[in-house]
Amino acid sequence: MTTLYAILIDGMIYASWLFMVAAGLTVIYGVMRILNMAHGSFYSIGAYTGASLVGWYFSGAQGAPYWSYALLLGAALVSGVVVGLLIEQGLLQFMYKRDEILMVIVTYALLLILEDATKLIFGVDPYFTFQPYSLLGRSEIGELTFANYDLALIAVAAVIGAACWLTLNRTHTGKVLRAVIQDREIAIAMGVNVKLMFAATFVVGTTLGAIAGALTAPAISVSPGIGVEVIVLAFAVVVVGGLGSIEGAIVGALLVGITRAAAVHLAPQIELFVIYGVMALVLAVRPQGLFGRDLARKI
Amino acid sequence: MTQFLTGRRFAARAACSLLVLCAAAQPLTSWARVELGAPAGKADATIGCMFPMTGRAAIYGRDSIAGMKLALADLARDGTPAPTLRVLIDDTRSKASYAVRIAEDFIHRDGARFLCGMVSSGVAHAVSQTAQRNRVIMVGTDHASSRLTIEAFHKYYFRVSNDSYTSMAAGARYLAELQRKTGWKRLAFIAPDYDYGHVSWIDLRSNFERLGVKFELVGMFWPKLYEPDYSPYIDALQKAEPEIVVTALWGGDFIAFMKQAASTDFFDRTRLANFDTGANYEVMVALGDKPPKGLIVSARHHNNWPESERNRRFVNDFHEAEGRFPTYAAEGAYSGIMMIAAAIRKAGSATDTDAIVTALEGLHLQLPEDPDGFTSYIDPDTHQIVQMQAVGEVVPDDRFPPARVMVGNWTVYRAEDLSPPPALVRERRSRAAGTADYFP
Repeated sequence: MTTLYAILIDGMIYASWLFMVAAGLTVIYGVMRILNMAHGSFYSIGAYTGASLVGWYFSGAQGAPYWSYALLLGAALVSGVVVGLLIEQGLLQFMYKRDEILMVIVTYALLLILEDATKLIFGVDPYFTFQPYSLLGRSEIGELTFANYDLALIAVAAVIGAACWLTLNRTHTGKVLRAVIQDREIAIAMGVNVKLMFAATFVVGTTLGAIAGALTAPAISVSPGIGVEVIVLAFAVVVVGGLGSIEGAIVGALLVGITRAAAVHLAPQIELFVIYGVMALVLAVRPQGLFGRDLARKI
Repeated sequence: MTQFLTGRRFAARAACSLLVLCAAAQPLTSWARVELGAPAGKADATIGCMFPMTGRAAIYGRDSIAGMKLALADLARDGTPAPTLRVLIDDTRSKASYAVRIAEDFIHRDGARFLCGMVSSGVAHAVSQTAQRNRVIMVGTDHASSRLTIEAFHKYYFRVSNDSYTSMAAGARYLAELQRKTGWKRLAFIAPDYDYGHVSWIDLRSNFERLGVKFELVGMFWPKLYEPDYSPYIDALQKAEPEIVVTALWGGDFIAFMKQAASTDFFDRTRLANFDTGANYEVMVALGDKPPKGLIVSARHHNNWPESERNRRFVNDFHEAEGRFPTYAAEGAYSGIMMIAAAIRKAGSATDTDAIVTALEGLHLQLPEDPDGFTSYIDPDTHQIVQMQAVGEVVPDDRFPPARVMVGNWTVYRAEDLSPPPALVRERRSRAAGTADYFP
């Protein structure tokens, strides 16, 4: 019984993290049809800005420790919006009519550039800012104890998931976005400012990536290369769930997260394999992903 | 879609944007290659060194360069005639294929007759084969897999820092003594899922067998290198209820594991031991002033052990030059350069590779890691340096800021007790003969 609930809680924690990382990626693809390889860099930028700011805050004992959570989120919001807007306005907006494959190459180039830029700005030494992680204490559930910060991430991921879903399905902006997703040209003909929609979507996606990085920073050592590592996992999640689907990202993250937790507890030797095993299995049965839709080719 | 630009304007703007961004990132590339010592044409020998200078392990590359600068300075002021060395350093980017290409360039373009460095055992395996193929000497300074000196041994490979066997031999002895005091029985092991992690377990198990330590293995876990989330492993470890957890996680991974575990009651129930890298200075800094209780750690070099004049001078010189205290990588790289210089001096030639190999086999050299009365030497059978090792606990110590704790309560082990017995070396080599691990 202990094993079962340990798998479930660990799986939920990992799934929450995976979903936060993958949400921005799937939002951008869903609306803009851009497979944003640079998404990991926004995660990395969020982690670095969050860790730097919180490190500065605690080194000077500036005030109440709980303000560090606001700093983490603030750093992610500012860095995600500013860098996202710069890249969208400075580069991507000139390429929207180009082929999806070209966009993959362009965003891959961006990933490499942003990785090096991150090293130039933040250096190559790891950042350790664990205070927000330990500040929340721990909870005993049955025979095991869990860090409350990890449990809080489940709630944060749920809020992000709900906000994305509600925005897309229950607001006027969401309706407009869905119109753009369905048929870009008709949306333009109906007076929709697609350029603005794309800019807003890209910034939301990059900010989600930065938030995921900032909230992960207190649990890890923030160091060069973390963005490249998460992008592979984020792709696994969105491919399992179906590219461009928020519901798919939630289910994909849960599937990968709980399977990985089960492997760690029951068969640690195959932990790395199962994540990609799940992806391969889903693709073999449903190549478009669990929630992906077959699209008719436009001639 | 009239707002979209025409093809030509689009291409021009995109190219400009990319060029600006590339220009911003360019300085990083220019950091890649570093040259120390004598200029080309004026050196007795060229040494091609490879370290990660970007990515997560970059701090080891940075400290290694500083360590090599100290070695060259010490050689210059030694007073005895020393060979003039040209040291080239390039960034492996922690990738084996990339490091092999750099090694080939060092050998064929720069005329290097020595290769040195490498943090990752995986990278070192690949470069070791390059060294063997080209008949140049490779001196490992910072990777630890014992496979390199046992199964994959060849005459051109030498290592001047403690390997996983040495560290696990010291660790097994420490745990055997602890078992006699506390009667612990349940042990779990967690290590990164690559060569170094797996070899560390083989070495620990073999030392337990050698010492006759009986225990119940209640779990083995293999997280990937740079794993961000250790919570399922920590839960699985708590569930298994080990009294001792031995880990071969290193650097930021070890720190992240400890910090995540500290938010549970892991350290109330279990003692965590890391015998190879746990006492590295960067770990001490990251522990702050509230380290988890019960840690048992060691490392390949300590800033506060041995309390010898030689070690104090090395640490102080490093601090004076760099404005910070060294990680163990610095002493490994320092030792590598000193060892090469000593071998050239002993062989009387910088070009006769076989004579230098012979000089290195059994070479004795006093290094910062040696306590008074002991001198490090190269084991002729494995080409592994033989050194003493000290294992201890984390105690308050503010002499090496920003660290507020260091290792203390030392237990020191004799070097001769920490080398693999010849029978074990023969057995591991014969078992590996004909497999991918073996390339004599």
